[in-house]
Amino acid sequence: MAGLGLDLPTFISQLISFLILLALLTFFGYKPIRAMLDQRSRKIKESMEREEATKKEFEQGQLTAQEQISKAREEGQGIITQATQIGGKLKEEARGEARQEAQAIVDRTRVELERERDKAIDDLRREFVDTSILAAEKVIRETLDKEKHRSLIEETLKGSVTFKEN
Amino acid sequence: MTEKPLLKRFPILRVILFIGLALAIVSFIGGSVGAMLRDSSPLGFLATSPPQPELPAEKPFASLFITNTMIASWISILVLFGLFFAATRKMKLIPGGLQNLVEFFCEVAINFINDVAGKKWGKLFFPVCFTIFLFVLTNAWIDLIPGFGTIKMNGLPLLRNANSDINVPLMLAAVSFCFVEYQGFKAKGSSYLKKFFNFGLLACGFRQLFSGRFKNGIKDTFMGTVAVFAGFIEGISELIRVISFTFRLFGNMMAGTIVVMVMIYLVPWVIPSLFYGLEALLGFVQALIFAGLTLGFLTMAVTSEEEAS
Repeated sequence: MAGLGLDLPTFISQLISFLILLALLTFFGYKPIRAMLDQRSRKIKESMEREEATKKEFEQGQLTAQEQISKAREEGQGIITQATQIGGKLKEEARGEARQEAQAIVDRTRVELERERDKAIDDLRREFVDTSILAAEKVIRETLDKEKHRSLIEETLKGSVTFKEN
Repeated sequence: MTEKPLLKRFPILRVILFIGLALAIVSFIGGSVGAMLRDSSPLGFLATSPPQPELPAEKPFASLFITNTMIASWISILVLFGLFFAATRKMKLIPGGLQNLVEFFCEVAINFINDVAGKKWGKLFFPVCFTIFLFVLTNAWIDLIPGFGTIKMNGLPLLRNANSDINVPLMLAAVSFCFVEYQGFKAKGSSYLKKFFNFGLLACGFRQLFSGRFKNGIKDTFMGTVAVFAGFIEGISELIRVISFTFRLFGNMMAGTIVVMVMIYLVPWVIPSLFYGLEALLGFVQALIFAGLTLGFLTMAVTSEEEAS
């Protein structure tokens, strides 16, 4: 056996060396590396879960936003309809007012016209009286009391006007 | 489209091949083989002394018991410790460089061990198995560094492949054996010992014989004797494992060293390089076998027969 080199001190020394190596590698190598590998896999798992949650949240948010948009659209549509209705009403009112005003103008104008017409009739009547007097003077060549004539004719005309008015 | 041969695609390969061949021929003629053929001494610049391999490790310091293999194994330990210390000194969650490399190899080893032994046991077995692997591998590869064996102290090499000192393989085999038995005993308790000392059936047979049930008694006595013998064989095989572990590694490493020495003596140039490559592979394979067998025996020791079946 000695020829092979078996030697107890060498064996023990090598054993101690190996055990030291085992201890060193365990504490400075395997433990931190194992911890790091575990930590990394945990981190990856966590981040994947977080990503999943974020995705779900995003989808939920998208759904809510969609709902809100459609709600807002409906509301907007309602507001527009209401506004159209109000507008229509306002237009109607404005139209009514305008019509009334126009009616008032028309009425006023009619009164004015009537007054003008009466006046014109009066004027015409006076003219006619004068003309009649002149004509009568000429016809009968007789000078008559002018005032007497006038009143005569006035009476006659009045009689005709009263008739007309009736 | 046909592929061009490799030598035609890379003309530089042809030049390298030619130079290598020329060097090999020159060293063949000028080396010891050529000298034998020419019946003269080898040419001056190629002359090497005949290899004189020594099985026991040399002690370069006359007054100390330190052997050259001890120094080599210390260097291996320092290299491994330095590598792991540098890799884990400033660990980052996103690894880079050395940390990445060391983590990669550790993860491969962890996965391999977990595949064989399961996650629960793998965690326990990993440090010992992987350290054995790394120690054997580093010892084997550190020997291949040029100049490793040529440093002399008091006429003896200062460094020598630690695996080629029988104390190192024996020490590793003893560590492996003790760890296997310890884990087996820890996992199964006293029933682990039944594997070696199985007297239950024999005692039962004797009881039956003495109480008059001869037919069953004889049958159980016979089976019990077989079981005792099987336990004895089992025990012997556990012990023989230590020897086979020791001599497998020692023999391979020693033979590898001797082959390289002889090749350097016979044909100093080019050819030994091929054997260096072979040695690198052999070192890896031996490390893998040592660690793998330890892992296998560990798994066998902790797995109960019901689980195994």
